[in-house]
Amino acid sequence: MSEFGGMEELLQDFLMESNDLLSDVDNKLVELEKRPEDRALLNDIFRGFHTIKGGAGFLNVAPMVTLCHRTENLFDKLRNAELQLNPEVMDVILDATASVRDMFGTLGQGLMPRDADGALLAALDAVLSGRMPQAPVPQATPATPPVASAPQRSDEPDWNSLYQAVVPAARTTTPTAPAPAPVEVVPAAALVPETEPVTAVAAASRAAAPAKNVTASKSASGGGHENTIRIDTNRLDMVLNLSGEIGLTKNRLTTLRTEILQGNNDSNTLRSLDEAISQLDLLVGDLQNAVMKTRMQPIGRLFQKYPRLARDLARQLGKDVELVLSGEETELDKTMIEDLNDPLVHLVRNAVDHGVESTAERIAAGKKPQSLIQLTAEQVGDHILIEITDDGRGMNADALRRKAVEKGLIDTEAANALDEKQCLQLIFLPGFSTKDQISSVSGRGVGMDVVRTNIQKLNGRIDINSIPGEGTRISISLPLTLAILPVLVVRACNQPFAVPLAMVREIITIDPEAIQEVSGNPTIVVRDEILPLKTLAGLLGWAPTQKPGFGVLMQSAERSFILAIDSFVGRDDVVIKPLQNIRPKGVAGATLSGDGSVVLVLDMEDLLTAKDGVSGMVKTSELITI
Amino acid sequence: MADKNLRFLVVDDFSTMRRIVRNLLKELGFTNVDEAEDGQVALHKLKTQHFDFVVSDWNMPNMTGIELLKAVRADQQLKPLPFLMITAEAKRENIIEAAMAGASGYIVKPFTAATLEEKLNKIFQAINK
Repeated sequence: MSEFGGMEELLQDFLMESNDLLSDVDNKLVELEKRPEDRALLNDIFRGFHTIKGGAGFLNVAPMVTLCHRTENLFDKLRNAELQLNPEVMDVILDATASVRDMFGTLGQGLMPRDADGALLAALDAVLSGRMPQAPVPQATPATPPVASAPQRSDEPDWNSLYQAVVPAARTTTPTAPAPAPVEVVPAAALVPETEPVTAVAAASRAAAPAKNVTASKSASGGGHENTIRIDTNRLDMVLNLSGEIGLTKNRLTTLRTEILQGNNDSNTLRSLDEAISQLDLLVGDLQNAVMKTRMQPIGRLFQKYPRLARDLARQLGKDVELVLSGEETELDKTMIEDLNDPLVHLVRNAVDHGVESTAERIAAGKKPQSLIQLTAEQVGDHILIEITDDGRGMNADALRRKAVEKGLIDTEAANALDEKQCLQLIFLPGFSTKDQISSVSGRGVGMDVVRTNIQKLNGRIDINSIPGEGTRISISLPLTLAILPVLVVRACNQPFAVPLAMVREIITIDPEAIQEVSGNPTIVVRDEILPLKTLAGLLGWAPTQKPGFGVLMQSAERSFILAIDSFVGRDDVVIKPLQNIRPKGVAGATLSGDGSVVLVLDMEDLLTAKDGVSGMVKTSELITI
Repeated sequence: MADKNLRFLVVDDFSTMRRIVRNLLKELGFTNVDEAEDGQVALHKLKTQHFDFVVSDWNMPNMTGIELLKAVRADQQLKPLPFLMITAEAKRENIIEAAMAGASGYIVKPFTAATLEEKLNKIFQAINK
């Protein structure tokens, strides 16, 4: 299926590097709108297109070469002040950027992209030839024609004569002056072969341009998962070193085993064994860490796409929005970064569309006309905290409550029992949309519940804070990696079970006196919070073997409750292995404990919903106890 | 025929491009290749290690290829180093500028191993004359 036989690897490299480059260009374009005269920015953007063109040339992606070449020329004129940047020119540039990104998408599937939209190429040509509002400065023209004209190309012998001709002249004249003379020595040579593709492409696409009118889809090509990863060589060396050391330790253990099997088990041998195993323990832990680190990528690779997204959407909605990023260097597991894209795109769109007000509204409310959206990431302990904060209108708890009732998502009684914070959580209900009209950009009502589901799939949590009139902050908390899961191992019915540590808020002892019945359900009051008590045995549908002695206060996005258990084993970092062929309700997988026995890892959400199926009312009553 | 053990420095800010050039050089039998991501890094490497040949892109951040070329030609030690300029620019004034700065050759992207070999051989011939 690939049209790049033998070059797939190179293509992958090119795409990965070029995608980053293009995202960088996108962000610089947003900057450029603020500082259209900034030479350094113009230079950087020019170089971006230039570099992509160069790579595309080697891969023979002619349509991309053509497009980048023209865009690059445009920036050449801009940086030489032969053209002025205005909104019309900017639109052409943004279209060109989007088109290049589309081509990356096509290439990513191993296919040769089609020529850029004829209208786009025509628009680029129009800008270049000065038919757009600003006329270029006259002398610019000779500089621009692409690689087409023959005389300047020289074959190798001519290079030398050219060099000879030019170098002495350089001492007496300005660089441009001697140009015509030596070059005329050259033209005998025909076109150097390597330039032909470019020239041919330019001509071909020019001819083809009017005929074609394929509108390039504007969607970013970020959807597919990348199958290659870039790793800091230091990290890779670390893995190599550690595996080497583990090998050495293994050799030592093998020797010790032989000695012990031969009956040599004096205290010296046993101490050596103890040492070797301790060392192995340390090394394996380090190796796990080092391997995990190879999967860690800076979240900036994801973030950098969003300023452009926010800018485009804001422009479409007639709003003035600045998206400020921070903490781009924060590292996160690669697969998580990819899976975070959709939720974050949704949240950024939501913030621009629903979160912030129009300029007029803001002025009327006495706010700064430009709204600010901040997207931040930081590592907090063993978690990554991603926050998106806007300074918009905030959320009105009453309005949310009313809406949820109107839509029949909860009943009035339940709605009235919700406090403000709980009201905000309503937006996570399936079918909830805070806007009356469905806009084309966001607000189909499928949004926030999907966002939350996606975050939960990553073992993460999502939270909302909002102050009416001042803005909204959405916080996402994620574990560093999915590969290793920190768990709390507990016992019930004489069997160990592992529960995700991320959900554990605290551990309490259960005093049978403190258990109160509320409408038939056992509850315990912990610091003024009434929490339902669920025994693990009960959730599993087993008969309890003893009175529960401890409770684990568990918290998920939707509910908090106390899980009653018999006793604890301790905390552990486990690697979950999926169960083959069987999928018992409430079990995420299995892992091995230190003594070699199998421990089931529980999926609490799943386990609870299994029970919710029994009585329909449980869900709403649990919503109240968030 | 040139010595296959010649040590090359490939200078480009785009790692894919460095890899392409490295692969092309390898096709020609030159395996002793190091890379630098811009002129500054390249100049530092050139001053601290031994190289026989520089193949440099023109357009780079921090220090461009032409600036690197000028720096090399201005340095007593590095002065005689063969320097092949790679670029996507095929504009007349660029060729002139490279020539005046003392480039040993000039090659326009995209190019094949054959073209690269041809350019390299011309440079080797010029040196050995």
